Amino acid sequence: MKKIIISVLGHDRPGIIAAVSEVLFRNGCNIEDVSQSILQTEFAGVFIASLPDTIEAGELSGRLREKLDPMRLSVLLSEVESAGVWEAPLSEPFVITAMGPDRPGLVAGITELLARFGVNISNLKAVFRGGDNPLENTMIYEVDIPLAVDQNLFREALYERGRELGLDVSLQHREIFEAIHRV
Amino acid sequence: MLTHLEVLSTLEMLKNEHLDVRTVTLGISLLDCASDEPARFIDRMSSKIGAVARNLVKVCDRVAVRYGIPIVNKRIAVSPVAVAACSCAPDRMVEVARAMDRAAKGVGVDFIGGFSALVEKGFTRGDHALIEAIPEALAATESVCSSVNVASTRAGINMDAVYLMGKTIKRAAELTRERNGIACAKLCVFANIPEDVPFMAGAFLGVGEPDSVINVGVSGPGVVKKALDRARQANPRLDLGQISEIIKHTAFKVTKVGELIGRRVADDLGVPFGVVDLSLAPTPNVGDSVGEIFQSLGLGSIGVPGTTAALALINDAVKKGGAFASSYVGGLSGAFIPVSEDLNIAESARQGFLSIEKLEAMTSVCSVGLDMIALAGDTSAETLAAIIADEMAIGVINKKTTAARLIPVPGKKAGDKAHFGGLLGEATIIPVSGTDRSGEFISLGGRIPAPTQSLTN
Repeated sequence: MKKIIISVLGHDRPGIIAAVSEVLFRNGCNIEDVSQSILQTEFAGVFIASLPDTIEAGELSGRLREKLDPMRLSVLLSEVESAGVWEAPLSEPFVITAMGPDRPGLVAGITELLARFGVNISNLKAVFRGGDNPLENTMIYEVDIPLAVDQNLFREALYERGRELGLDVSLQHREIFEAIHRV
Repeated sequence: MLTHLEVLSTLEMLKNEHLDVRTVTLGISLLDCASDEPARFIDRMSSKIGAVARNLVKVCDRVAVRYGIPIVNKRIAVSPVAVAACSCAPDRMVEVARAMDRAAKGVGVDFIGGFSALVEKGFTRGDHALIEAIPEALAATESVCSSVNVASTRAGINMDAVYLMGKTIKRAAELTRERNGIACAKLCVFANIPEDVPFMAGAFLGVGEPDSVINVGVSGPGVVKKALDRARQANPRLDLGQISEIIKHTAFKVTKVGELIGRRVADDLGVPFGVVDLSLAPTPNVGDSVGEIFQSLGLGSIGVPGTTAALALINDAVKKGGAFASSYVGGLSGAFIPVSEDLNIAESARQGFLSIEKLEAMTSVCSVGLDMIALAGDTSAETLAAIIADEMAIGVINKKTTAARLIPVPGKKAGDKAHFGGLLGEATIIPVSGTDRSGEFISLGGRIPAPTQSLTN
């Protein structure tokens, strides 16, 4: 059985997940993971499902479009590859927070450094509303830093990048946040 | 996935509210170093401290960087020297203290506690020798801290020991006359001393403890104050029940962080983890004050009427939050009120809101006692002993730890300032009423019997 990944984008409204999952159900697909996010007014959803041998990926994609095009939602379907892909090295979870006045290039500046160190982002939430209020211009990256990366070197490079970008940057171990907020 | 709010509120605690691990204290038993030859004891002790604590500072620094939480102090607590070096004469005890000082400096820690004796029921030869050596030992060393337990709920109060400690404090002050009697800042007299305190000057490793152990002291008066300020600003109609809940939540968070860091240090050192001591311990820095919490609760200053009730609320809420966060909360756990070490408390004492009598009343509900109180240099040994006796009685009757860390500052009188420096801060000398009127009572000596455990009125 093949695995497929489906992404759905469009203006948010009730019934999007219902529409996608109905098509998957009718075509014998089993949903393994779903995640959705709403940014401002826009919906983005990702589904991973197993595709039965009775239907081809292209055919399912067509049926999804048939259902979603009238709702003005765009859909992309592809097969999940299992060979020749990046595999996560042993890592430790950290949280990077960057706050400061908005300007172009902040996400690019921070993520270029993360990519260079092989640090993977597992979750990212960033808001930029302009102005100087740091709380309205915040990036929170949940990242995995490979054990092989020299943490001091990475920390220094990150803080230096923060200074260049005019951001107040911090790097904390994720366990601290969990310890403080979870019972 | 962490929420925005979780991340930002944690950062706020770290960056602006002084959330840190106040001390990681490595307990090292010296019982296996015992010898009838003082030189051999010293050798064994020095090599054991050197071996067990070799990586303490390095590991603490590494864990602190990794978690982004500062570990402010790294310290060592050893078995009570009066027990481990029981056969030493007083002059040899001073040598032991010097060797402890060298060993502590050798591994890069700022304080080593355990120059201690437990004499609530009586003295051994070692106890006598150690107490006699305390003034010189503390004057001749920088990092050595001393504690003497003179009372317990089960034994009563050893009044001979109390008197002896009055004289010892007096002599220790005299030997460090040019530094405002600073030796006394490293000396605590206790009732019901816990065996696992990580905080100085009372830290020592009890005889029931393992060969080595990591105990962690977390603090966070700044975090508590800011949490209260924020909550009261958001809802000015908060009542004291709701305020207690906020302190409890905050204590929970701080304790969790302490245990996390402590366990990681203990794992990396290959040493068992002991306890988290959650104490609101101030430093002489703005925003790191226990005194300021009272103002956040609506009192004009710590020391005014209402202070004891507020302290009772704070202390209890801190304990409840801590006890929920960790099954291994120990040490002193509560609110410290060291006068010179807290800018706000020192100021309140200077303004006359905080008298020694009010401080004594507060100690019946707080976690320790008469702490870092500067007294006039001409306060007699008998008056010091009488103040200690009162403090011990509060602990013994209320089944709690109390302590006295009193500094009769040589050559100074009430109203003068005494500067101790660093974490010890500075204090205005507070007056004692009726000095030199307790001598006859104190010289009666003997042991005040242990209190009854029933008829609790």
